[in-house]
Amino acid sequence: MDITRVLVANRGEIALRVIRACRELGIETVAIYSDADAAARHVREADLAVRVGPPPATESYLNIEAVLDAARRCGADAVHPGYGFLSERAAFARACVDAGVIFIGPPPEAIERMGSKIGARTLMEQAGVPIVPGRTPADQSDAGISAAAQAIGFPVLIKASAGGGGKGMRAATQAAELPEAIPAARREAQSAFGDGTLYVERLIERPRHIEVQVFADAHGNAVHLFERECSVQRRHQKIIEETPSLALTPAVRDRMGAAAVAAATSAGYRNAGTIEFLLEGSGDAARFYFLEMNTRLQVEHPVTELVTGTDLVRAQLMVASGLPLPWRQEDLRQRGHAIECRVYAEDPASGFLPQAGPLALYREPSGPGIRIDSGVEEGAAVPVQYDPMLAKLIAYGETRDAAIARAASALRRFPILGVRTNVAFLIRTLEHPAFRAGRLHTGFVDEHLAELLEVPAPSDIVIAVARAAGSRGAAAGTVAGAPIPPARDPWSALEGWGR
Amino acid sequence: MPDQTRKLEVVRTGSPGEFLVREGDGVTQAYAIAQGATTWVFHDGTVYEIAAESPGKKRQGAHVRSELTAPMPATVVAVKVAPGDAVKKGDILIVLEAMKMELPVRAPGDARVAAVHCRPGDLVQPDRSLIDLE
Repeated sequence: MDITRVLVANRGEIALRVIRACRELGIETVAIYSDADAAARHVREADLAVRVGPPPATESYLNIEAVLDAARRCGADAVHPGYGFLSERAAFARACVDAGVIFIGPPPEAIERMGSKIGARTLMEQAGVPIVPGRTPADQSDAGISAAAQAIGFPVLIKASAGGGGKGMRAATQAAELPEAIPAARREAQSAFGDGTLYVERLIERPRHIEVQVFADAHGNAVHLFERECSVQRRHQKIIEETPSLALTPAVRDRMGAAAVAAATSAGYRNAGTIEFLLEGSGDAARFYFLEMNTRLQVEHPVTELVTGTDLVRAQLMVASGLPLPWRQEDLRQRGHAIECRVYAEDPASGFLPQAGPLALYREPSGPGIRIDSGVEEGAAVPVQYDPMLAKLIAYGETRDAAIARAASALRRFPILGVRTNVAFLIRTLEHPAFRAGRLHTGFVDEHLAELLEVPAPSDIVIAVARAAGSRGAAAGTVAGAPIPPARDPWSALEGWGR
Repeated sequence: MPDQTRKLEVVRTGSPGEFLVREGDGVTQAYAIAQGATTWVFHDGTVYEIAAESPGKKRQGAHVRSELTAPMPATVVAVKVAPGDAVKKGDILIVLEAMKMELPVRAPGDARVAAVHCRPGDLVQPDRSLIDLE
């Protein structure tokens, strides 16, 4: 292996994931951190760690100069960008190459080609990959965007031309909704990406969001590692992903895989990437449309790893160091079923509002078929500056039902206190009859929101435990039949309770 | 109200915040942490935030808040209402932005706006009152 020391230009669970893969290959790692993460898990597990700036991401994890300085200072010969942050910035990939450091990802030109929605669409059209009708109007005024929406036909989706990750995205089912949707999309696009340019496309109704993992090396080999179904989303961001998808027949799966490989090849792609498609209809007649390419490792890569028996980060490191792909297409098979649930610090009952603060109690479940990728720990604070994802719980089973049962059972044993999370929401989603039946589409959460938000009233057990834990000012009296002594302070009340 | 006939024994385990609850031969596991006036309890996949009770006062169910606060540090993007406005449950009153996302603050019930304490562009801190409803 040519690579001997990798700088991991990220934080949280993905930084840990990369650090571990490096360690297994005998590669040293350099962590970077902002002041908010000085003692974080990803820092402790690396061999070297360099501060890159104050807490705001723009001044630390997004600071290209600071990140490259850290790489030079530590003698890193490669940089792994993870996902988010600088992972899809062509300028960063190019700066790495110019500095003589291997960028573990695609060539900068491929990021540029696929990063521009317009350019990518044109390229896909030429490569024979089906695309959704849409355009970036030259006239970016409200009137210009409205005219484009009218020409494309309702319903439309208005989104950040520079964007990704579902930010700055608004749907309009009729012209009357445009006056509110256009300025909101522009504001979000401006603040999230520093570019308010808007893109308008036909909204495919009740589509499934299905993506295909692709991988290419520097020797002309390109393969796909099948699909991931990511239809369960809130605010246009994925929360549950699984593979295989119930919606794909073998014939459609083959066509989609071939289209994804053609897309990657036409982009001059190298390393791991994902082609996102919208799927409309069902059976062999289902149609799919190219949505976009994510030129990086995905958050949800573990489900692919579990079902194909691969290690995508290890393969990324091998391909980046010039080795050929470790698999041929005919070696790759899907076996069993995997499902990933993203555990977020957020309040589903308040529009999935992100939450921040200290994790007073955080205990991860474990067991056969359960994998947790996380970067947080009990006692540490969830910072306000970054994405509030706490952990990914990935369950594997022989069948979809077995994987769902495992995921739900593990979530029921995943206590997180002190910060509101979506754990109960995830459980209710997994156990919802429509989810169990596989009736998924990207509007699933909105359609079933009321049921998914239901929280049972506190049981006698919950009240008894609350009393025992000792709310300040807890009343003397009887809880659930058990006499409780008058509480002077929260702890004295606990004497005689079995300890 | 708790069922007075149930006999529950709550036992602390060796792990901080972890409890074993026995009811006859039945057992279940729960986790709880007291933080200020709130005790957080996790049982069977659901988290409950139980407010401390004051003696002689019954636990309240859902209550309509009279003031709305920022849940986290955020920037005010838009204020959609003015004092005196009548609002309906679910109406967007204020739009905040945090973590690069727009976060609507909605009316928790039908009410009248008594006072607005923020303006577009303000950086607001958690638990600061943004708007009073009556």
